[in-house]
Amino acid sequence: MANSYLVEPDVNFVRQLKTMGGETLKKCYQCATCSVVCPISPDERPFPRKEMIAAQWGLKDKLVGNMDVWLCHHCNDCSTYCPRGARPGDLLNAVRAYSIQEYAWPKWLARIVPDPRFWWLLLAIPMAIFVMILGPAGYLKIPAGEIEFAKFFPTLLIDLIFVPLATFWVPLVFGIGIYRFMTDLHKNAVAEGKAKRKDLNIPDFLKSLACALPAILAHSKFDECSSNKDRYISHLLVFFSFLGLFVVTNCFFVALYILQLPGPYSMGNPVKILANISAVALLVGVILMIYNRLQDKGDNIGKGSYFDWSLIILVLGLVVTGILSEVTRIAHAPILAYPIYFMHLVFVFCLFAYLPFSKLAHLVYRTLAMAYSRYSEREPCE
Amino acid sequence: MTEEQRAEETKGSILVVGGGISGLTATLEAAEVGYEVFLVEKNPSLGGRVAQLKHYFPKLCPPTCGLEINFRRIKDNPGITFYTMAEVENITGSPGNYDVTIKVTPRYVNEKCTCCDDCAKACITKIPNEFNFDMSTTKGAYLPHEMAFPMRYVISPKIIGTEDANKCVEACKYGAVDLNMQPETITVKVGAIIWATGWKPYDASKIDNLGFEYPNVITNMMMERLAAPNGPTNGRIGRPSDNKDISSIAFVQCAGSRDENHLPYCSYICCMASLKQATYVREQFPDAKIYVFYIDVRAPGQRYEKFYKTIKEDENCFLIKGKVAEVQEDPSTRNITVVAENAVTGEKVQQTVDVAVLATGMVPNTADTKLPGGVKCDPDGFVISDLAAGGIFATGCAAKPLDVTSSNQHATGMALKAIQTLVKS
Repeated sequence: MANSYLVEPDVNFVRQLKTMGGETLKKCYQCATCSVVCPISPDERPFPRKEMIAAQWGLKDKLVGNMDVWLCHHCNDCSTYCPRGARPGDLLNAVRAYSIQEYAWPKWLARIVPDPRFWWLLLAIPMAIFVMILGPAGYLKIPAGEIEFAKFFPTLLIDLIFVPLATFWVPLVFGIGIYRFMTDLHKNAVAEGKAKRKDLNIPDFLKSLACALPAILAHSKFDECSSNKDRYISHLLVFFSFLGLFVVTNCFFVALYILQLPGPYSMGNPVKILANISAVALLVGVILMIYNRLQDKGDNIGKGSYFDWSLIILVLGLVVTGILSEVTRIAHAPILAYPIYFMHLVFVFCLFAYLPFSKLAHLVYRTLAMAYSRYSEREPCE
Repeated sequence: MTEEQRAEETKGSILVVGGGISGLTATLEAAEVGYEVFLVEKNPSLGGRVAQLKHYFPKLCPPTCGLEINFRRIKDNPGITFYTMAEVENITGSPGNYDVTIKVTPRYVNEKCTCCDDCAKACITKIPNEFNFDMSTTKGAYLPHEMAFPMRYVISPKIIGTEDANKCVEACKYGAVDLNMQPETITVKVGAIIWATGWKPYDASKIDNLGFEYPNVITNMMMERLAAPNGPTNGRIGRPSDNKDISSIAFVQCAGSRDENHLPYCSYICCMASLKQATYVREQFPDAKIYVFYIDVRAPGQRYEKFYKTIKEDENCFLIKGKVAEVQEDPSTRNITVVAENAVTGEKVQQTVDVAVLATGMVPNTADTKLPGGVKCDPDGFVISDLAAGGIFATGCAAKPLDVTSSNQHATGMALKAIQTLVKS
């Protein structure tokens, strides 16, 4: 306390947090109930009381790049017990949304992804790209005969779009964000005395990452929540079904280009089974997420902003069109099957292309923060 | 003296509901300038919450010191009629002209009682002692407490109709036990009404994270009873689970107060009450460590601020800025661990102590009852004084959370408001 600290409030930052779901932040009176009732906050320099005052004072450098913001799993036990209705859990969610935009590049895209006025533009971009590629090549009309999606949208063309997207765009754009994020994370942790080690050693960090993975896969932090227990199962379903679909996509990629086996594959194919199970799990998971959010009227999980809902709706669109593509194909309804398949690809594109800008970016940032907290010995490595 | 005679002599009548410190003050202030006052008290004795305290502010004197003189003034004033074990049932009329019905429940003991205790000795049944927050029991025939006014025993309705009640009748040499007493309804005409129904402690069991289920977690009002010489332990502050000496104690401020999940308001007295209780502990256990966990200490006014400063100077008294939000018990030692974040250092504090005292706030007694005569309450249950309309006024903790000094000032003011109604009408 002997050190003097010149407070330089960033009023605009406070205003932005308030529009992103943190509108109650000014109600906090610093009683610190939140830091104690939080089931996952550490004993040393616990959160989120200090984050609340930093938000009130507009201390952006204490929030953006603060690993604690990402260690929070939005249980909202803090918000349930908060005597003032200041909703610390929702504030940290708003800080995360702000941070994603802060680290994302290019900036114009970082601004329009979370902006509800531009949802149509985000969908129009992939549609335009698809039309521009398919149109001149003579596709884009409903083919006759047995439904084969490759007749409508050749696999080669799909991969021409999606492979660069996944291997070039996402790593490049996200790489910039990740680099800046990690730099800030380390700087903030050292400055606030949360890090036991002052250097940032990559091999050791990767070891910490490996050590954080079991907790991430098991969703063990979610499991410690009490106000928001319902979220554990829905997030687990969504997480593992995405993992399943990732495995499926890679298997089919290998099947097509290395083994020369084009689809559609039989229903008894083990990879196809995994695909179908994952699709159903994803549908159930995302419906549970929507149900939980609507049912508790914002008491526990928080009302959620456009930033939260846009990802949920995108995933819902993705899984519904995915399942319907398959169903309409089997039902021999080309007039439905091809347009639905087209929309499915639009949603897949959105998921990948906007990954570093959307809420889905938490997949990477939270993972890194959880790894860093072990690296910095803020949390033990189980 | 009949009522007709008295009405001619006096300048008008006022009803005071509640015989705690505010009601007593309002009664006396109005009666001593010549008004007739009817005082209605729900309990068998006057004195209210103040009678339960060990010491009260500002001079840290025992409650006898203020209550006795007030009881004396009531006895000496022919203009005051008081009813105990009585409640206002109905009010009709308008400012200056109210008809009030009062329901009096039977005490089963008449004015011949000499407090010889023979009825209590004869009675076998024990009932929880509400005056001591159920930390002890009394017999089915009991004196509310040793400073009770009127100084008269009560037969609990719980033993009416049992063999015990007959034993009480037989034991009484003075013919004071009268089991044939019936509920009575009394009607009075008054020009103004002062609502002084006071408060009750917030139910600590509603605060699910502060461990009130553990024996060594008590409330501040329980602490007053433990420390009071006429309390369940004759004033010894022992650990409730084993009566062991206290070597450390934690005061948990704002337990259910300033909290929209419980009481959204500040109850005004709890900070000073805990600081005062720190002096009780210090008196009995000179080396005990005292921890006070607070959001911010509210010590209003110069005198309270000074009191706060003297507590801070005690080197075994630690004031920690951070609200306790978790309480655990070690089942083997029965020790209590309170958890808070020290907001000054930013570290989590886990303090193990012998006893934790929850500084619970005040709930107005009017919070969960519909009041007669259209008397209105605010959303927290405090009675609203309609000063423009006049006629019915609230004072003391029925109006807002207050300490004794402010209650007295407030009650004096409201007595004047009641008098104004009479003069105007």
